[in-house]
Amino acid sequence: MTRVDCENVGRAAMATEDGYVSELSADQIEAHLADCSDCRGEVRELRALANLLDGQKRKQRTENIWERVEQHLPAALPPRSRSRVGRAFVILGLLLLGYRLLEIVPNRHLGLLFKLVPILLVIAAFSYLRENPFRINTQLTLEGR
Amino acid sequence: MDDQTAIQRCRAGDKEAFRHLVERYQAEAVGHAIGILGNREDALDAVQEAFIDCFQALDRVDLTRRFYPWFYVILRNRCYKLGSGRKKREVSSADETEILAPTASIQPEDRMLLERALHELPAEDRELITLRHLDGLSYQELAERLEVPQGTIMSRLHHARKKLRDKLARFSFTGVSGD
Repeated sequence: MTRVDCENVGRAAMATEDGYVSELSADQIEAHLADCSDCRGEVRELRALANLLDGQKRKQRTENIWERVEQHLPAALPPRSRSRVGRAFVILGLLLLGYRLLEIVPNRHLGLLFKLVPILLVIAAFSYLRENPFRINTQLTLEGR
Repeated sequence: MDDQTAIQRCRAGDKEAFRHLVERYQAEAVGHAIGILGNREDALDAVQEAFIDCFQALDRVDLTRRFYPWFYVILRNRCYKLGSGRKKREVSSADETEILAPTASIQPEDRMLLERALHELPAEDRELITLRHLDGLSYQELAERLEVPQGTIMSRLHHARKKLRDKLARFSFTGVSGD
């Protein structure tokens, strides 16, 4: 529970002015302000400041930065969807799990080709994502450089 | 073209659709970045970097929500990253740093004092005060953009306003005496 002291009342009084429902009720705030001239003065000043600020407008800017932005946009469009990547790996995981379950079935005779299935699945996944897992990313930079 | 359509087109490889998003929000973004960084040149750098980050993250945008609040989180991260790594710039004109537009509600000399006091605040306080009072964001919207609970917004905003009041008092600014 919030204590009814000068700090909390000042904060709550201004928050109430801003339309926010604080933990102190309007009655608690008013009762404290009626008794405390310091808080009354402070809230009066802060209200005046808030009114002054409410009457101001942000300066309108007219900069056009498209050219600056366009120069630095990555050439590859669109950015690859994470959900697409995630989905591909989930499917890959499930297929590999299914493969593992098949592998532990006793008395199976699936031949040599069956052993290549995991490799083929991984190649298929990276082909689908058009991603080279052996590529070294030379564009990585350290923060602050 | 609405934002959702533009984002979907960007995802399909349409760079021009991204241009729509940049041109629609660049002015707002530059204004917000100046509100954090305090000068136009750094703000332009931050906005540029933020749009590039945004482009690369468009596949993670939730299309059921508005674009700009999502983009703002990227922008402010860029601003603070840039702000922490750079020395304060020398500025050649007031236009480079101005956050406030001239209005009939305040005399030009008082506006300059208010502007100066805002610039003397820490970036986080300046950001919070300008988002609340110049953009009229609610505590809920502030909490989403700044990624903190609403109770924290209440405390931080209260302290930020007290700091601003104290700075204005140091400049003998009489407009907030409350009399």
